[in-house]
Amino acid sequence: MTAAETPALETRGLVRVLGDGEMRTEILRGVDLTIRRGEFCAIVGPSGSGKSTLMYLLGALDRPTGGTVAVDGEDTAAMDETLLASVRNRKIGFIFQFHYLMPEFTAEENVMMPVLKRGSPVREARERARGLLDELGLGDKLHRVPSRLSGGEQQRVAIARALANEPLVVLGDEPTGNLDTKNADRVFAVFERLAKEKRQTIVVVTHDPHMAARTARVVRIVDGRIVDDGPTREVLERMG
Amino acid sequence: MRLSLLAFIARRHLGANFLRTCISVGGVGIGVCFTILMQSLMLGFEEKFVTETIESSAHVTIFDEYRAGTDDFEHWADRAAGMPVAVEGARPRARQFRIKKPLEILDAVRRVDGVAAAAPNVVGSAILSFGAKEAGSTMFGIEPETEEAVVATDQYVEEGRLTDLYSSGGAVILGSGVAERLGAKRGDTVNVAIRSGGQRSLRVVAILKTGVTTIDYSRSYVLVSLAQQVLGLGRDVNRIVLRLADHEQARDVAERIEGLVGYRTESWQEANQNFLSIFVIQQTITFIITSGILIVAGFGILNILIMLVMEKFPEIAMLKSMGFTARDIAATFFLEGCAIGILGVVTGATLGYYLTEFVGSLPIPQKGLIESEHLMMSDSPRSYVIATVSAMIVTMLASVLPALRAGRMDPVETLRGHA
Repeated sequence: MTAAETPALETRGLVRVLGDGEMRTEILRGVDLTIRRGEFCAIVGPSGSGKSTLMYLLGALDRPTGGTVAVDGEDTAAMDETLLASVRNRKIGFIFQFHYLMPEFTAEENVMMPVLKRGSPVREARERARGLLDELGLGDKLHRVPSRLSGGEQQRVAIARALANEPLVVLGDEPTGNLDTKNADRVFAVFERLAKEKRQTIVVVTHDPHMAARTARVVRIVDGRIVDDGPTREVLERMG
Repeated sequence: MRLSLLAFIARRHLGANFLRTCISVGGVGIGVCFTILMQSLMLGFEEKFVTETIESSAHVTIFDEYRAGTDDFEHWADRAAGMPVAVEGARPRARQFRIKKPLEILDAVRRVDGVAAAAPNVVGSAILSFGAKEAGSTMFGIEPETEEAVVATDQYVEEGRLTDLYSSGGAVILGSGVAERLGAKRGDTVNVAIRSGGQRSLRVVAILKTGVTTIDYSRSYVLVSLAQQVLGLGRDVNRIVLRLADHEQARDVAERIEGLVGYRTESWQEANQNFLSIFVIQQTITFIITSGILIVAGFGILNILIMLVMEKFPEIAMLKSMGFTARDIAATFFLEGCAIGILGVVTGATLGYYLTEFVGSLPIPQKGLIESEHLMMSDSPRSYVIATVSAMIVTMLASVLPALRAGRMDPVETLRGHA
């Protein structure tokens, strides 16, 4: 297998159990999933189905109870805390429903953060942040702190931050959940372009079929199992 | 690079929560400030006392007696243990109030390592009278030159010199308190009762004022020969006083000399044991109070950092998702705690310096162990070192817990709670 063919994300028999004793809950009950590079993919399912948990596992933020997760062909189960953190830094970009921007830092500094963490010089990090914010239409708001940005702008800064290290995989957990339709559309337009032009892998967790409809592939999860997986139109048709 | 990023985050956190930062810095600052004040006050008094003691009394004194146990009968009986000896009705022998062969001893001790000067003393209590007034006094018979080499006395002699004792016809230098009690001034003639009967008149040639109340209110100085006559000692002396090159060596040297000459030999530390042990208690009290203040400041930091960490949980989760490790996060918050500590120390040391100066300038006259117009403040760096070190230790201890908590937080749990 050449590097280009290594799947961006791959899980085998993925199991995640939370809690102990009577509180024990099986969130994921054996998930086999392969996501190729450059795929724009939605994970859908009712709340509590385990989609967010799957996303944390795919992003090396959580460890599985059973089974394996490989990011870019590397098994995360074998990694220690530092290595996992490094994988997250270099290969994953997270976007959450809440932007979680650091309120004490400007938009630019927030985007610079993962680049600096990677060890790049400040100048390089600043150029990278400016380029991304420019692309996302925030070029004139570099030095604003998050509280002086609108909800849509905040989320775009969060997206810029997720893209700052040119990650292999961008993981979004309801990334447009707090946005109006117009802003949500803009965000999805960015995702589409990233997948198409830069061959970055985009995985979006959502319970909103309208959002899922804009992706190329939909994985449907119910009660911790994949119940459907395929091209978006087909899966959505089967869902009704 | 990585540390500078963490420091950058820490600095911004503190800057953005300015009021809170100020409050915790203030807490540490006040702790440091009062630690310095208390330490300076306590050390100042101690230093003053020790200096005065070292300057105004001999470093080592050889007495005309043996240490308890060395010359009594029971001791002798102990040595005969195993032999059929029974000691009953033992009684102390009549003590000899004199040092035999003082010149040979003086010669011998002058050759001991560390001894800078030695002088003979004749010491005893004498009753002085001036007109109808009487006052008891500890009379010191001295040789002005050798005495001056052992105890710098001349600098405390007012309205005259130590060598004025040589003036003919019997001269005395009175402690200022003694003179006050008698109502005698320089030039007056006072009478001293001679042990064997009769009186002798002495002219007051100078007044001694050391500032140490116990000395000024008790001592009078005459020549050795005069004291021998007044106290009925013939040609003997009953003390030999020594000055050392290094006063800290006094205990050692005293021990060696006692082994050499046999007489009880006391270092200045032993002679002032009571006071020195009071200083130990004083230091302990200071320590307890100031650590109390600093611990309270530490709780302030703990409190504020815990609040900060709790508040930042979502952002910490985000930082972790970006690749920051538990150690990075813990280090960031630990740095914040340390920064508060350092700022607090700087603020507190500055405040402490000025407060110490201010308190030291207040007119608070003291009369007791030591006479002074002001409280004696030590300007020793020791106060600052103690305050800084203890404040930093307290700060670090207070930062560790919140820092570890921040590092240990589970990002998934936090994100799940918010989603």
